[in-house]
Amino acid sequence: MEAVDGWWDDYFWGSMIVLQVFFFSLILMVIFGLIGAAAKLSDNVVAQKIAGAYTIIFRGTPEILVILLLYFGSAITLTAIVQIFSPDTKFVDVPPLWAGTIAIALIVGSYATETFRGAFLGVKEGSIEAARALGMSDLQTFIYVRIPEMWRLALPPFGNHMLSLIKDTALISIIGLNETFFVAKQAIGTTGEPFTMYIVVGGIYLAFSSIVTLSVMGMEKFGARTGEGAR
Amino acid sequence: MTDTLIKMQNVDKFFGDFQALKNINLEVKRGERIVICGPSGSGKSTLIRCINRLEKHNNGHIFIAGKELTDQVKDIDAVRREVGMVFQSFNLFPHMTIVKNLMLAQRLVRKIKKPEAHKTAMHFLERVKIAEQADKYPVQLSGGQQQRVAIARALCMKPEIILFDEPTSALDPEMINEVLEVMTDLAKEGMTMICVTHEMGFARSVADRIIFMDEGEIVEEAVPEEFFDNPKNERTKQFLSQILTH
Ligand SMILES: Nc1ncnc2c1ncn2[C@@H]1O[C@H](COP(=O)(O)OP(=O)(O)OP(=O)(O)O)[C@@H](O)[C@H]1O
Ligand SMILES: [Mg+2]
Repeated sequence: MEAVDGWWDDYFWGSMIVLQVFFFSLILMVIFGLIGAAAKLSDNVVAQKIAGAYTIIFRGTPEILVILLLYFGSAITLTAIVQIFSPDTKFVDVPPLWAGTIAIALIVGSYATETFRGAFLGVKEGSIEAARALGMSDLQTFIYVRIPEMWRLALPPFGNHMLSLIKDTALISIIGLNETFFVAKQAIGTTGEPFTMYIVVGGIYLAFSSIVTLSVMGMEKFGARTGEGAR
Repeated sequence: MTDTLIKMQNVDKFFGDFQALKNINLEVKRGERIVICGPSGSGKSTLIRCINRLEKHNNGHIFIAGKELTDQVKDIDAVRREVGMVFQSFNLFPHMTIVKNLMLAQRLVRKIKKPEAHKTAMHFLERVKIAEQADKYPVQLSGGQQQRVAIARALCMKPEIILFDEPTSALDPEMINEVLEVMTDLAKEGMTMICVTHEMGFARSVADRIIFMDEGEIVEEAVPEEFFDNPKNERTKQFLSQILTH
């Protein structure tokens, strides 16, 4: 393991990037998932179609391809726009961190769309009717009954989505994001010890995913206390 | 004590092409206890669900405490404040403790402050003899206990009338009585009730009037003695002979 000496700080900063990507992609993933689910459940046929296309496209193409297409697609577009104002420009890109974050949020968000849709439909109509019969408004029913019950149903698959996000950050190295995987490749270039370097990356990802798994388990336990959450 | 709380005039209800209620006329006075019975699919649930607008009637008029039930949200809200409902499957909020189940609508709908809502909740939990379960979650309670909680939840809103839709038919036999007892107590205290049930013992001892429905119509309406001992309509006789033999 001496080969790793001198690389720990790089791995540390790489880990921070993983965390950063995870954090922002998690927020975006929830937003995309909720919008997707709302669109699928809406009466608007156009919205339904768009959401349908979204889930088919993003669940049906390799993730690495989505990242590459999004990165280069946005770079080409951006470059073309910038060239209008300064024709000498060669290449402008969306920073890999953001292109990658958005890409994996879109990918996992397409799965989350189905999760949220299913959870929404899984809430028992009885609770909703009881709330209405008690005189609660639609908005109050949504906030105090629908959302909390939906959340318990969505939590187990949602934990898997978070794991996907963590693991997908490794893919962003392909567009030059200097996260741990990227660090490992550089380290291998100078030390010639691929196994050691990749083992470190494995350890880091395992640590992250364990934290996610444990916190989801904790939340599920909290939900199970109230009954059907652990179904 | 003779003022009319509920008045249904020529009410029709359609589900698509299917007519679930046919020209329903019904008047319920303050303090009256009505039992509705009839075969499955005869429209009993639909009738009481029209009263608090869980279903929307297509023709005719429904008045609750003098106010007509229209499409206006404010009318619907006003009606729902007067009308409590107890469902066959309890429908407690599974993610909340028992006492929170009782406090939620008080706070959101009646805008009652937390301490007072809590006090009211505990008062009614005591009345249904279940105060010691206040901090449990619905799944931790038996069906009979959950149904008593559901009754207490409706009472917390201080309704003028309570609708019961087969409150005991999802219960194990040994739990039916504890719920019927609570309902009988309510009746004695003068609560106006409309109760869909096939508990004929309860109907006989508590109801002021029994209504028999079949195929979306009110077929027969009578005081209990007359209804059981001297039914007029053939369909009622047939129904009673079926239900009383087991
Ligand atoms: N939402 C709905 N959509 C379509 N048809 C419905 C709907 N609700 C009820 N119906 C139909 O209306 C008729 C009356 O239903 P309702 O539930 O009022 O009967 P019920 O007398 O309460 O029967 P049960 O004893 O089985 O509860 C039934 O034929 C039922 O299939
Ligand atoms: Mg029914």
